[in-house]
Amino acid sequence: MHPVSNLENLMTRYQQGDYGAATDLIEQIGPRLHRFFLAQFQSRTDADDLLQETWLRIHKVRHTYRSGEPALPWFYAIARHVRVDHYRKSIWTTIGKRQLEAMTKEVAADPRESDHADGLDALLAPLSESQREVIEMMKVAGMSLEEVARATSSTVGSVKQKVHRAYKKLRGTMNAAGLKTGQSEELS
Amino acid sequence: MKDQEIDGVLDNAGRAPQDLAPEVLQRLADSIKPTLRPVRPLPPPWVMTCGLLLISAAVSLAGAAHAGFFGFEKMDILERLLIFPALAILVWMAGSEFVHAMIPGSLRRISSGALLGFGTTALLIVFAFLFRDYRIDHFFSAGIACLLVGFLHAIPAALLSWLLLRRGFAVNSVSAGLAAGTLGGLAGVGMLELHCPNFQAAHVLAWHVAVVPISGAAGALAAWTLRFWAGSRRQARISLK
Repeated sequence: MHPVSNLENLMTRYQQGDYGAATDLIEQIGPRLHRFFLAQFQSRTDADDLLQETWLRIHKVRHTYRSGEPALPWFYAIARHVRVDHYRKSIWTTIGKRQLEAMTKEVAADPRESDHADGLDALLAPLSESQREVIEMMKVAGMSLEEVARATSSTVGSVKQKVHRAYKKLRGTMNAAGLKTGQSEELS
Repeated sequence: MKDQEIDGVLDNAGRAPQDLAPEVLQRLADSIKPTLRPVRPLPPPWVMTCGLLLISAAVSLAGAAHAGFFGFEKMDILERLLIFPALAILVWMAGSEFVHAMIPGSLRRISSGALLGFGTTALLIVFAFLFRDYRIDHFFSAGIACLLVGFLHAIPAALLSWLLLRRGFAVNSVSAGLAAGTLGGLAGVGMLELHCPNFQAAHVLAWHVAVVPISGAAGALAAWTLRFWAGSRRQARISLK
């Protein structure tokens, strides 16, 4: 689904201090991580800031990537950590809460910002946060079950269980939506 | 609706364009350029796990050397052959789990919580099989002394392990703290088995084994406190700006 085969090579070259490899990685991974943040915070400004923070963290801990291991889960594991950290910060302080409320209002007022609520986000709305995260990683980032398990620091069995529950919930929601559409069509 | 149909709907929705301003990407590239220099990757996980095994063994042996090998001397061959290899396997598992917790994107075969549960249960089974003296002399006084000694050896083992893996990066610090605490707790149990000559089943099952969950919980709590403290400091800095 995505061209990830050269990510591992680029990552190894990035560790060796190759600026070209670093920019290639930013171009390939940046937009995906941006969308990952956008799905949760619904604000482009927030997503931009988180992407910047994530890349600084990636840069700082780039020595922890092990050559030969899949690179995509490594990036997502760090992005996820930054996202959770940001979420916690916004809960911890009243200031953070107020800012978050203000930002939410700004987003609601700016139609460009809320445009990102695309089909996938709407589809995944009934799922829990952890189920949504797993489905996003699989369907947007094109990661396998094992890669999602690596990125979320969980076991493959636990990811399988989340996917199973998410599909069950989605099936119920989609069937209900289909049933309602069918009924309204019959009535009209 | 079938799973394949849901797959199709999700795949279509997931293919939405990923627009991101080129200036944002350029800003990212510019921000890392001044500090871009070669870095030394982490050693292979098995090397780090061996290091953790050595630390645990060193702490247990040093503690027992200081306090006396009374427990080891009193044990028969079967007890020695079952207890110490079982502890070594559990330390290896806890060490490996701790190493993986410190490398982002590592595949976890068992969660830190499950590891703690498994380690505690395995020790209970081994000790229940070996120790059949069901008297309970000085249950609390002797037990609390052993628990304290075990825990006091778990602390340096966990701290030295953390020091060895300081170049790693824990994406889930509480999980890493739990694994480090479990590892330290197993080193503490190792020291107690070498030193403590009290082979009463209730004493060993309750007080020796308790070192593992207590150390695991202490490790998780310490990691959570550190994360909270670091988060509060960062927030205070942002507020001051």
